[in-house]
Amino acid sequence: MIAVPLTLAILGIGVAGSILLARKPVASLFIALASLVAAGVLCCGAALRILLGAGSVEAVSARWPLPVGTATLALDGLSAWFLLVIGVVSTAVAVYSWDYFRAAVGREAVWAAAALMNVLVAAMVLTVCAGDVILFMVGWELMSLSAFLLVGFHHRDPRTRRGAWMYLIATHLGTALGVLPVFGAFAASSGSTSFAGFAGALDPSRTTLCTVVFFLGLLGFGTKAGIMPMHVWLPEAHPVAPSPVSALMSGVVIKTGIYGLLRLITWLPPLPRACALAVVAVAVVTGVMAILYALAQRQYKRMLAYSSVENIGIITLGIGLGMLGRATHEPTLAVLGFGGALLHVLNHALFKGLLFLSAGAVLHGTGVDNIERLGGMARRDPVNSILFAVGCVAICGLPPLNGFVGEFLIYSGLMRGAGLDSLPVATFALVGVAGLALIGGLALAGFSKLFGVMFLGEPRDAHVHLHATPPSMIAGMSILALGCVAVAIGATCFGAFLKAPLAAIPGERLDAQPYWESVSSPLVWISAMSLVAIVAASALIALRRWRKLPRPAPDRPVTWGCGFAAPTARMQYTGSSYLWKLAHSFRGLLTPHRHLARPERCFASPARLETQTQDAAVQKGYQPMFRAVAQGCERLWPLQHGRIQLYLMYIVSTLLIVFAVEAWHAPFSDGASDKATPGNPPRAPAAQGAQRGGDASR
Amino acid sequence: MILVRVIAAILEGVLVLALPPMLMSIVVKTKAWFAGRTGPPWFQPYYDLHKLLNKGAVYSRTTTWVFRAGPIVNLAALLTAATLVPVLSSHSVFGFAGDVILVAYLFALGRLFIVLAALDTGSSFEGMGASREVTFGTMSEPALFLSLIVLASATKSLQLSEMIGPQLFAARGAVGPALLLVVGALLIVLLTETCRVPVDDPATHLELTMIHEVMVLDHSGPDFAYITYGAALKFLLLGSILLHVAFPHPAQSPWIDVPLRVIELAGLAAVVGVIECSMARLRLNRVPLLLAGATVLAALAAVLALTGSVT
Repeated sequence: MIAVPLTLAILGIGVAGSILLARKPVASLFIALASLVAAGVLCCGAALRILLGAGSVEAVSARWPLPVGTATLALDGLSAWFLLVIGVVSTAVAVYSWDYFRAAVGREAVWAAAALMNVLVAAMVLTVCAGDVILFMVGWELMSLSAFLLVGFHHRDPRTRRGAWMYLIATHLGTALGVLPVFGAFAASSGSTSFAGFAGALDPSRTTLCTVVFFLGLLGFGTKAGIMPMHVWLPEAHPVAPSPVSALMSGVVIKTGIYGLLRLITWLPPLPRACALAVVAVAVVTGVMAILYALAQRQYKRMLAYSSVENIGIITLGIGLGMLGRATHEPTLAVLGFGGALLHVLNHALFKGLLFLSAGAVLHGTGVDNIERLGGMARRDPVNSILFAVGCVAICGLPPLNGFVGEFLIYSGLMRGAGLDSLPVATFALVGVAGLALIGGLALAGFSKLFGVMFLGEPRDAHVHLHATPPSMIAGMSILALGCVAVAIGATCFGAFLKAPLAAIPGERLDAQPYWESVSSPLVWISAMSLVAIVAASALIALRRWRKLPRPAPDRPVTWGCGFAAPTARMQYTGSSYLWKLAHSFRGLLTPHRHLARPERCFASPARLETQTQDAAVQKGYQPMFRAVAQGCERLWPLQHGRIQLYLMYIVSTLLIVFAVEAWHAPFSDGASDKATPGNPPRAPAAQGAQRGGDASR
Repeated sequence: MILVRVIAAILEGVLVLALPPMLMSIVVKTKAWFAGRTGPPWFQPYYDLHKLLNKGAVYSRTTTWVFRAGPIVNLAALLTAATLVPVLSSHSVFGFAGDVILVAYLFALGRLFIVLAALDTGSSFEGMGASREVTFGTMSEPALFLSLIVLASATKSLQLSEMIGPQLFAARGAVGPALLLVVGALLIVLLTETCRVPVDDPATHLELTMIHEVMVLDHSGPDFAYITYGAALKFLLLGSILLHVAFPHPAQSPWIDVPLRVIELAGLAAVVGVIECSMARLRLNRVPLLLAGATVLAALAAVLALTGSVT
């Protein structure tokens, strides 16, 4: 257990070192990134120890001068799983960042970015390992603030500032409206701030309360994760952040929202079936709408951000399925649902981290963020194109890479759900399968567009120049790409890691053999079939090599243009035209704005067509809502005169009113003041420490 | 006994791998017969494959590793899928609970690489074909999965060789009407995925109206052999899934089962040929409606099967 405090200490050294060496940016960057790599490896080690030890809980407590008990760091299976994700991605990102930020030395405050990345990773480690509310909130807020500063790194661009502020406001609204009330409810009924006391703190017979608490949690943690309609900050914040930061945000920061949601589920009793079905519905809407928006994007990092929302939808679908399994007392469904969701958390961190880093290499090399100006990158930068292709295949959920493994578990859970003798469950399972199939198809369309238009064909803009991807960036991406392959080939092994996090979910033991069989036996087959596919491909390549064929002519011809001998790059399909048909078929959902100026005379005259797809949640939901809030606030303007005497009067009158109310409710007697605050929890710091210690020894 | 079974399995595997070009030949022969022509020799597709495998390939100066990887990955994915699909007998080489999802995604993997290889040429024609292929592929996906759910809930299994094997024969009485709708949906999926009339016309002369053929315009030599064979193999695999659903066989000796399936496959190829002779390709903007129709058929079947199994 010493590993987690050690990790935090190393990251602290990284922060301090990089700030102290701010005058020597390269040394500062090196210290920060070295500590990040060390911390990442340490995280992986600590997590693997728990995951291999099948479900043991480790905790460490320390007294602190706050009046709310001790600070507890606890590491159970669920925390360990997310710690593994954080460790892998932050190691890869740190390696990548070396050449990425070194190129900016002298132009930007790279020491600040490096220090903040350390803070961000430390905050995430703190969040997933916190054993009590206060420590969790410290980590959670530190994560929000450091991510805000990192997103706003290129703060001279107004779009960047907008994205960063949007993130900060969204995450705090979610925290204030969702996360804090949830913790308040648990703290009030358990009488402590320690997570150990939260499990089962709410009376299972009070279904309404449990349901309300769950949906508040879905709102709060869902804002961080990007569940629709709380996703609006992702497509604004991710594209403007520096690419390593985008990879961290999309790979792990949003997963802390999923961690919060799963942690909440471990405390709650099994919720009624309708709740699970509502989650399934939200997840399908999130997935389908997000991938449709992703199709319509022209900025590749923005498209990747929308696809993160889509993958959060898939993860939420798994969680909904798991909840359904708990509600209907079908542990097999719960195992497949939660297991699939957890596996997809890891997988999405790997391939989305890879895609953001690879897209970052393109942005770094060309400075162009619009796919319609790119093209032909595979010929100029083959290594990066292979890495990006690996990410694309994985994110479409295709075998033999990792994306398939998590989706497979969710699919097979849904298909089993359809076989249950309950019409509502079967109907939602049906919707889930159809939704997942559609999401899979649309993701294939979207990522074939992204890869095809960016990397293949001829360069669309002759003014775009590219310099080769530096070695450390390639090394960082290779770590994640190898992870994508390893999870698929070693699906059995990674499946075995799932036992510990599943054991953290109360109720029937999900890692018991009969239920576990439903996960472990197909995973063996998936590993094997991935190998079969790879062997088949190798055999075909060998067959191709083995036959002695005439060598291709040294001067290669142009592409056959069906008789047209002078093709130009402008004749290629663009990203928009490639998916026009598909976007047009879904125009009822996407509601694109079209500005069409037809040619007016008979002969060739200027014409133009613009299409724009804007997020309906922003257009129809948030903008009118915030405008109404702003208008309401304008009514208060008469109060604001700018004269200090007036403000002093406000303060005095407020104080008087508070005194008056207090005097009315609680006249100066001791008994009455105790009665006035019945919800105040008794404070027993020593007892909490003992409780946690008990967990450790169990 | 085991030796006999191994030999039988090997013989069946060889037959499965040898059959696809013959099915294509049957389609062509049917069309020729309808038009009153003799048509090419029965073994013409085999001669073509042999010829292509011995030719050199031409690569345009635009193309990269993706263009060369496309045909290989496509065929490798289809060969892997072939180990999971029961084609002639009601057994597959491998099988596990949920293999049906793997099969569907292996088809998608093949499609992705063919599409990427097409985009790699930088040609507007191939871009057009790729665009159509992903559009229609996406739309046929829900229909395929909903059909599979019907089979899964009818047989209470997620293993393809059980879902469309003797278990389906036992369950066909309970879900008969639903199976009929599934056959309709799967037929449309088959025609879409294998690029046949009414979705695509493999025999058209005009690149602007093609889907599959225009995507592979630039491939030549062994690459094109892989693609041609892969397309035929895909037809065989999807066709045999369709046939197993349409005509479930009881568990019986392979000496009866296998010849029967071969005849059925030949019949399916002839039916596809007849469809190609008797109707024109649909207008491209009508195809999404056809696929939506397939999805609705499959969804109806799913509702029928589920309500049937609940009450």
